[in-house]
Amino acid sequence: MKSKIGIFLIIVSAFIFSSCGTSTEAQRQCNIRVGIVFDIGGKNDRSFNAAAWEGVQRAERDLKICLYDVEPGNPTSIEPAMRAFAEKDFDLIVGVGFAQGPIMQKVAVDFPKIKFAIVDGVITGKDGKPLENVASLVFREHEGSYLVGMIAAAKSKSGTLGFVGGMDIPLIHKFATGYEEGAKSVNPNARVLTNYVGVTDAAWNNPGKGKELALSQIDQGADVIFTAAGNSGLGAFDAVEQYGKNPQTNEANKFVIGVDSNQNGVKPGFVLTSMVKRVDNAVYDVVNEVLNNKFQGGFHVFGLDKDGVAYSLDDFNKPLIPQEVITKVEDSKKKIVAGEIKVTDAMAK
Amino acid sequence: MSELLTLSLFFSAIRLATPLIFAALGGMFSERSGIINIALEGLMLAGAFTAAVATFELNNPYLGLLGGVVAGAFLAFIYAVAVIKFEANQVVAGTAINFLMLGLPQLISGAVYDSSGSTPQIAKEFLLPNYYNSVSLASIIAFALIPLCWYVMYKTPFGLRIRAVGENPAAADAAGINVIRLRYTGVILSGILAAAGGAYLSIGQSSLFTRGMTAGRGFIALAALILAKWKPVPVLFACLFFGFMEALTIPLGNIKLASGDPMPVQFIQIIPYVLTIIVLAGFIGLSRAPKALGIPYNKEK
Repeated sequence: MKSKIGIFLIIVSAFIFSSCGTSTEAQRQCNIRVGIVFDIGGKNDRSFNAAAWEGVQRAERDLKICLYDVEPGNPTSIEPAMRAFAEKDFDLIVGVGFAQGPIMQKVAVDFPKIKFAIVDGVITGKDGKPLENVASLVFREHEGSYLVGMIAAAKSKSGTLGFVGGMDIPLIHKFATGYEEGAKSVNPNARVLTNYVGVTDAAWNNPGKGKELALSQIDQGADVIFTAAGNSGLGAFDAVEQYGKNPQTNEANKFVIGVDSNQNGVKPGFVLTSMVKRVDNAVYDVVNEVLNNKFQGGFHVFGLDKDGVAYSLDDFNKPLIPQEVITKVEDSKKKIVAGEIKVTDAMAK
Repeated sequence: MSELLTLSLFFSAIRLATPLIFAALGGMFSERSGIINIALEGLMLAGAFTAAVATFELNNPYLGLLGGVVAGAFLAFIYAVAVIKFEANQVVAGTAINFLMLGLPQLISGAVYDSSGSTPQIAKEFLLPNYYNSVSLASIIAFALIPLCWYVMYKTPFGLRIRAVGENPAAADAAGINVIRLRYTGVILSGILAAAGGAYLSIGQSSLFTRGMTAGRGFIALAALILAKWKPVPVLFACLFFGFMEALTIPLGNIKLASGDPMPVQFIQIIPYVLTIIVLAGFIGLSRAPKALGIPYNKEK
């Protein structure tokens, strides 16, 4: 009997403590109500989710919307969160991350009157056509990765570059192939070492492994490492910082390239640039469209042309990139937009 | 193959083995006293989270490590009360601790830092020191713990009693040993050591806590403990084996197959586990657990 009470107490406390905290229901004046469900990385990953969070927060300030957010602790709590928003008749429900695609597809079919938006996902109905109430926000990551690959190859002294991916999925392959093509356009002999943290969603949250992968790549000669690995990528930032700065030039010995958000300020001086994905703008725009009754379902593609993807240039990294490199990169950017340079889209294959 | 076996691979293996050594040694004290400790993963997470928060707030990794260790000891004490005093099923209670630590750090970090995913990054100068860019202070401590634990386990009365309690608690009790108190000590020691291993992850190897950042290392440590037949020196080799295997998989990711494609990551990542099964099944012979492992002790029975 005693043992049963013990088990019961522990299980109950586990449930109490592990249930996620959600925003308090405040009686505010709202134009519209927006719910956002984050990916496993959580809204403060300084990267992908942080960009989406920034976008909806800006919408909250400018557009007087009421914003509710959920950070699911594991993949199984995504669907209940999404359904809870839908059952409360929210005006817009935003899902962040490719993993929510199949879930949102089910929920969006069940609630055809509610508008949905998914970042990095493509949602179609059973007939293969896009659902009218879902906006699929997709980015041409391979184009932005091409440009940072050019910068990396121009900066690299060894001709060896690194790529640390999070979960081994087609979306991340897009970053890897674009990066490699960009690097080879500058230096045809460039070697790109590619490693992935893992094959499950734990791969986004394993900075120790991320650092170990980066250290191994540095050991094999890499001096610029591009990460697309959520929180795990921060381990690569620690790895390059560990190699310090050259005392003569006061420039870092090894560099990292950030992803999704502008990560130049995470480790100032060690971040060559960031492949910025303007998830914030995309999310903000979709909120604005719902507010003004201009919402359109279907695919919304953000490439270099609309600055949906870009390389970041600010006071942190301006001294690190020579002007002639920037000129060259800008030139390639124009050519990609014009279709003169074709960057392989690994997901389209 | 020869270019794979470099000195840096060796250091990488040591770094990857470090958290496993702490956790496996912790598990040894608990299991040798007769308490199954499947909660190593949760205890590591408690240590990792508390150490990250304490180091970030106090700007001192040693206080951070201390904080992590205290949190691990406290959580282990709760576990000990459940399984020793209330005689809860040890596997179930341990699993509950693991689940608890998947949620609790998020709840706290969500309340304190408005982010349930991760804690803020700690500046490099406030992390545990790292020598020659390769060996962390924590790795040195881990290696020093092996002979220390061996000495405690085999050369002190305390170690003898722990072992006696895990093999035959009734006989030990008859000989005047306080079984309950020894088991509490064993479990709390396991909390301290596992939490130190977790702290290494958040303030030694990387610079922040992210949810579930142990990524199964607690369970690997448990496997290492079984592989090592619950003995301290073999624990070192078992953990190094796992660390080495994981380190070896990193450069393998860049080897091109004859077809020109890279080796599939999925295949590379199963190698350590497949080898474990082979080693456990074929090479080490019978792995005999302490006889009273998992059986609650009750004087009246």
